[in-house]
Amino acid sequence: MSHPRRVALQPGHVLHQRPYRDSSLLVEAFTPDFGRVGLVARGARGPRSRMRGLLQPFRPLLLSWAGGGDLATLVGVEADGPMRVLAGVGLLSGFYVNELLVRLTARHDPHPALYHAYVAVLAGLQDSGREEPALRIFEKRLLQELGYGLLLDREATSGRAIEPERLYRYRPELGPVPADEGAAQYPAIHGRNLLALAHERPDFDAEGLREAKGLMRNAIARQLGDRPLKSRDLFQGAPQRRSGARGSGGDA
Amino acid sequence: MPHLPVVQRLIEALRCLPGVGPKSAQRMAYHLLERDRDGARRLARALDEAGERVRRCRLCRSLSEDELCEVCANARRDRSLLCVVETPADTQAIEQATGYRGLYFVLMGRLSPLDGIGPEELGLDRLGARLAEGEVRELILATNFTAEGEATAQYISTVAREHSVRVTRIAQGVPVGGELEYVDQDTLSHAFRGRRDL
Ligand SMILES: [Zn+2]
Repeated sequence: MSHPRRVALQPGHVLHQRPYRDSSLLVEAFTPDFGRVGLVARGARGPRSRMRGLLQPFRPLLLSWAGGGDLATLVGVEADGPMRVLAGVGLLSGFYVNELLVRLTARHDPHPALYHAYVAVLAGLQDSGREEPALRIFEKRLLQELGYGLLLDREATSGRAIEPERLYRYRPELGPVPADEGAAQYPAIHGRNLLALAHERPDFDAEGLREAKGLMRNAIARQLGDRPLKSRDLFQGAPQRRSGARGSGGDA
Repeated sequence: MPHLPVVQRLIEALRCLPGVGPKSAQRMAYHLLERDRDGARRLARALDEAGERVRRCRLCRSLSEDELCEVCANARRDRSLLCVVETPADTQAIEQATGYRGLYFVLMGRLSPLDGIGPEELGLDRLGARLAEGEVRELILATNFTAEGEATAQYISTVAREHSVRVTRIAQGVPVGGELEYVDQDTLSHAFRGRRDL
């Protein structure tokens, strides 16, 4: 795919930035029309650089860049609305979401719907106590966008509608099967929680949160392969209100 | 005309300095060789000496000539206050700007999962062990006001609370002499949220 030479005022968020060459930053940004892009911010590490303060994760931006190669040159950055205030578990969860995007999306692969889901999860992470449901919906949409959407409202083999009060086991790459039909090694989840994920109405109780986390952890681990997420380490020290990024489901 | 091999080596060596590209390295090299041989010898001796003698303080991990740095070894410093910073340069800045009389813990970085830097890499287990000793009453978090600096502060605050240590975060606000009209949005928004009673 060929990349345009010049892009003006594209909405975007910084997923990550690191020092690059003498005084520049290499910014990994996520945008609706161009997906993940690598941008070089020249001179952004200088003490007087105005860009440096803006090029922070979780900050809605308008980005302009030039150049058609794998790395383009950032030529402009503006704030696009007020800064999001992420704190506590919400902030640490934000790093988890960013790491997921860096690990699971390819550069220059446009995902407008996923960008929308990303903006939605950041908004959700600002809402203390509601971080986990927001993460579960994001994970569901991420898998869907990557082409690994989960079957949530029908049984895998029979195609029967999911019953809210029934317990299921989720078979990877297949879907839910009634728990009394075997498959005990796979994550258990009640029908009501499958349906809540399907309809994106995650009013989970404690059990629902645990089951949904187990299911998503398992499904995402299959995409990540051997290398675990580093951001999970951040949740190991948090004794209370453990976030969704720390799973109880175990890796597949 | 190509540089002499020995000059070329000097140019290459100078490029290890931050912000020094090939052009400025070349300028520095020729300046030292053509105009300031004395300066060049002093620089060489100072680098050699510093490289040999400077190590990390056992307690705070900042640079030191001895096992303990001057601050950590000073019996008059308040050992119940511990200030967490990202780099030794931050320690210097606080020493010069404030009358702080407590001790420091230098992280030598910040949490950055995408760079593979987690709590373990920052030696936060050692910080936890230090807090467990019970001497520290207040932990002052002076990491940077970046997303990673905030996440680091957040993580450390949970560790500190496990040890029942009071945690404070340095304030963030409008610069001295700053006029609101010209202060950037984010700074103003932080300052507004961090308002206090008068
Ligand atoms: Zn020391």
